[in-house]
Amino acid sequence: MATVAAKRKISPVEEIDINEGVNLFVDEPPDSEDDDDTTDSDSSEYSGLEDEPDTDDDDGDEDDEEEDDDDDEDAENDEDEEDEDEDESDVEDSAEETSSHSKPTNQEIVTAEPDDKEGKITQLPDEYEYDSSDEEDIRNTVGNIPMEWYRDYSHLGYDVEGKKLLKPEKGDELDEFLDKMENPDYWRTVSNKLTGQKVLLSKEDVKIIQNMQKFKNPVGSDMYEPWIDFFTNEKMIHPVSNRPETKASFIPSRWEMLKVSQMVHALKMGWMKPTPTRKPDEEDETNFYMLWKDDEEPEITRQYRQYIPPPKVRLPGHAESYNPPEEYLPSEKTVQRLKKEIARGKTRTIPQKFSSLRLVPGFKYFIRERFERCLDLYLCPRQRKVRMNVNPDDLIPKLPKPRDLQPFPTTEYLVFKGHKGIIRTISPDPKGQWIASGCDDKTVKIWEVATGRCIKTFNVESKVKGVAWNPNPSLSIIVVAVETSLIIINPHVGDKLICSKTDLLLNSFEEVELPPAPTDKPKVTEWELYEDAEYELGFRLKIKHQREISQVTWHGKGDYFASTMPKGESKSVLIHQLMKRRSQNPFSKPKGLVQCVLFHPIRPFLFVATQKYVRIYNLMKQSLSKKLLSNCQWISSMAVHPGGDNVIIGSYDSKLSWFDLDLSTKPYHTLRHHTMALRSVTYHKRYPLFASASDDLSVIVCHGMVYSDLLQNPLIVPVKVLRGHKAAKGLGVLDCQFHPSQPWIFTAGADGTIRLYT
Amino acid sequence: MDENTPHVQAKFYTKQSQYSVPDTPFSVPITVGVEELSSLINGLLKGDEIEDESVKFDFLINEEFLRVALNEYLEQRNISTENVLEIEYIEHHPAPKPDNSLLHDDWVSCLQGYSQYVLSGCYDNTIRLWKTDGTELMTIPAHTGPVKAVKWITQDEEDTSPLFISGSHDQTIHIWQWNQEKKEVDCMVTCRGHTESVDCLAINNENQRFCSGSWDKMLKIWSTASASEQDEQEDSTSTQKKRKKTDQIIPTRVPIVTMSGHKEAISSVKWLNLTDVCTASWDNTLRIWDVNRALEKSQLQGPKAFFDISYSPSNGMVIAGGSDRHIRLYDPRSTDGAVVKCAFTSHKLWIVGVAWSSTNDNHFISGSHDGIVKLWDRRSPKAPLYDMTGHEDKILAVDWSIPDLMMSSGADNNIKIYSYSHHKNISS
Repeated sequence: MATVAAKRKISPVEEIDINEGVNLFVDEPPDSEDDDDTTDSDSSEYSGLEDEPDTDDDDGDEDDEEEDDDDDEDAENDEDEEDEDEDESDVEDSAEETSSHSKPTNQEIVTAEPDDKEGKITQLPDEYEYDSSDEEDIRNTVGNIPMEWYRDYSHLGYDVEGKKLLKPEKGDELDEFLDKMENPDYWRTVSNKLTGQKVLLSKEDVKIIQNMQKFKNPVGSDMYEPWIDFFTNEKMIHPVSNRPETKASFIPSRWEMLKVSQMVHALKMGWMKPTPTRKPDEEDETNFYMLWKDDEEPEITRQYRQYIPPPKVRLPGHAESYNPPEEYLPSEKTVQRLKKEIARGKTRTIPQKFSSLRLVPGFKYFIRERFERCLDLYLCPRQRKVRMNVNPDDLIPKLPKPRDLQPFPTTEYLVFKGHKGIIRTISPDPKGQWIASGCDDKTVKIWEVATGRCIKTFNVESKVKGVAWNPNPSLSIIVVAVETSLIIINPHVGDKLICSKTDLLLNSFEEVELPPAPTDKPKVTEWELYEDAEYELGFRLKIKHQREISQVTWHGKGDYFASTMPKGESKSVLIHQLMKRRSQNPFSKPKGLVQCVLFHPIRPFLFVATQKYVRIYNLMKQSLSKKLLSNCQWISSMAVHPGGDNVIIGSYDSKLSWFDLDLSTKPYHTLRHHTMALRSVTYHKRYPLFASASDDLSVIVCHGMVYSDLLQNPLIVPVKVLRGHKAAKGLGVLDCQFHPSQPWIFTAGADGTIRLYT
Repeated sequence: MDENTPHVQAKFYTKQSQYSVPDTPFSVPITVGVEELSSLINGLLKGDEIEDESVKFDFLINEEFLRVALNEYLEQRNISTENVLEIEYIEHHPAPKPDNSLLHDDWVSCLQGYSQYVLSGCYDNTIRLWKTDGTELMTIPAHTGPVKAVKWITQDEEDTSPLFISGSHDQTIHIWQWNQEKKEVDCMVTCRGHTESVDCLAINNENQRFCSGSWDKMLKIWSTASASEQDEQEDSTSTQKKRKKTDQIIPTRVPIVTMSGHKEAISSVKWLNLTDVCTASWDNTLRIWDVNRALEKSQLQGPKAFFDISYSPSNGMVIAGGSDRHIRLYDPRSTDGAVVKCAFTSHKLWIVGVAWSSTNDNHFISGSHDGIVKLWDRRSPKAPLYDMTGHEDKILAVDWSIPDLMMSSGADNNIKIYSYSHHKNISS
């Protein structure tokens, strides 16, 4: 292919040269035209087929090029031969003669293939396109001079641009001999004196030469061509052309002289520029071109081709037949109805029976129907629908398989039995040896995690709504929310030293004489000390609130804790400081029904979840920093990722929303796997896990990987549904908490059990 | 049996010389099961006029028990039927029989047998002494927290005043002396040093040292001497309670060596030899420590938190139970990381106790929260030899210190004893 392409290249360039030579005296040089176009115009000059469509021209063009290819191939084949051997001189001479006779240049003899010659009669335009017999071979511009004059030079003459035409390389005697021996066409290879190229004579050429040598008709066989009798033997009254020769044909043309002298003058004065010489760079550029460029359809035609066929008219069915089957014939009633429909334009015909087709009357609505059809086609824009052929499985995001995300809790291994009511809340100790639970049976129990043994039981006055173990491992404190008061308990489990130190710390409190607070502002809470028997049991402090407390939570450092009172209006959130035995109300205005509050694990932020929103307050600046729009009806619970940048929210409308605080205030991801209200959500402190507990008796554990790379969004994959709890009083699983170090989860159910899944 | 069933050449051999049969290959039908093979061997033995009537045999191929029909086994293992199969047979182990049940007042968290005595630690802070026939000898209000570990120090049956130690939630370890003649138990030494509950104890073979593992992640090595000059006399302030009970001054002992490294609580310790201790922890690792140099020698990473391990000095292997259903067999000598040699799966809940047999290096028992004690043969990982039911609640510990008795204690306040007529150790 490449060689063909390269060869195809050569001919147009030469033709351009020719054209430019011809157009030298034309005012507008054909700059705008392409290579191909020049030949087109050339051919059309002869063929007179300007009106014909492009495509025909193109075809012709290609033929033309093919011819040229052949030409060059031939020329290349025989390049080596230059010397005129005695054996061949006769042939060559005669060839020259013939060329001068029949056609002006040798070149054309060579190029012409026999088929084309015969086709001369039938395909005139084609012939003109490739036949340039009228043109001189202007590759060499020296003219008709004996070529011997150039014998001593390295060149043969000059081309149109005045460049030297170099003689082709000669082979030595040995090459000549080898060629003679090996090339079967050697005998009919001649060299073009003007160009020095080797030319392979075709069979026809040889035939012509042979004919001429025998003094026969050079063309050979066709002696009896149909005779076109221009000058008939019949006597004509009028001459073919009776016009006398003009005077102008005898004398030199003044006009021409004028024109030439004008040009000469213009050239002298520098007004008229000779055709610009081509720079070699340009030539290089043209050496490369897009091979398949022509194959591309132009943009305009492509648009034009985007033809959308009009929708097909429905073919008439049996009902439209002139002789429909009986069952298609409507009853009287139907006829009435159909008539109405016709009036409304809904249907067109009432099925009718005719004995023969010629009895069928003309269709009344024919014109209207045609008109409407045309109107439809004209007015209704048609558009091609691009339908994507997508496998639905590909649209599902690629999630890793759960077993690649281990460890996570999978099986129920331990049941903590002992409570006799709904367990509302559980809280593991920061070391993971114990877990505290608060129950409706008015007890708080401490369990040993490894065995499920209840180690201690604290009896309180009422139902326990919240239990929270102090997250500081060097303190042994549980805070319990019972009705309107918070109870601080030292459970006395674990390290004895820590327990006693905690007691010391609690007792070391001394009432600091605060500057007298304005008396009209009543204290938000009252702190009371337990004494004697209750102290021995482990009860330490009681913080009396004004309303019922629903939830209690610790700050990560273990000094501050917050309590929530949904009905407390402006005092619905209170923050307490253990060491200073102080309570404060961070908000002056009610924010709505506060569901739960949480401290940020690292920074001084407070998350406050109301019914529909989560507000994040900066405690240092005492300002609202963010407001998360939860998109759910009623928030039930909330958990903050240990990194602090992600929050999950569970709602009573069985949705779990994951918020990426860096990303947006809207949920990054919403999981709707539960069928009933969510009661609790929680994060694992070490493993990328989070879980949600619901009234549908299931706990769903999800893998929630948060990347430190800010560009990567969290990966959320549900990995396990844990079941085991039984329903009681319409409630299911009320709390779930992860073990602080192991990938285990504790769940507290309304059935009075705590279950451990590992 | 069908004439057309293919046969396979089998050669039978045994290490029990009283049951040996001629060393010639037999052609047995491939569909044969254990029962048929057993009767075949019996038939061969009858020929030798041995009195035993129908002794039951178990068969091993490539050190693995044959539990199914022979052809199934061969298909599973992809063993060619062309070659001569070498089948080892051993006498079928008779089933352990439930022997005794020792009822306590509270959950029994630990126990160990010795001679004909059983020592048990209880969640009601007491240690109890039993005879294996079921008589309760003594109840010792030993600790102020639940007792989590008890171990006999004296392994000499002649000794009339044996020593034992106990570890408890109250963070102390007590060394006790039981004066059998006076029927008294005296606390000899209180070992203080752990800051959390002491969960496991182990005594070395020479009874010179014992080590303890605790929830505070520390491994401590102590001297077992009942009295030594280095022990400090207790301060009067710190042990007022104890003084009330015993009304005598109990010396306090501090650890010889403390080794830290575990990231979570140590749940079990075992001596491998006089210098090496293996510990199992909730941080999913088994670590081997060199006591003399007080450093960690190697570490085996497990998949889950470990609860109990047992080491067999005769085969050098460690079995471990943890927070899943599988008992895993480890080789502590291997250095190429965590290599589970074998996993034994049959329990339904956490495995909290494992114990090798002291006489048969292929047998061990395991106890789980599902209330079943299982007797395993190391060569039969698919199924245990026997299930021993009886507990009505979680099992918390198992013990096989007395070769004839397998014992387990549980949350149903019971110690269950199963008698087991063991064979002589058949290993070479």
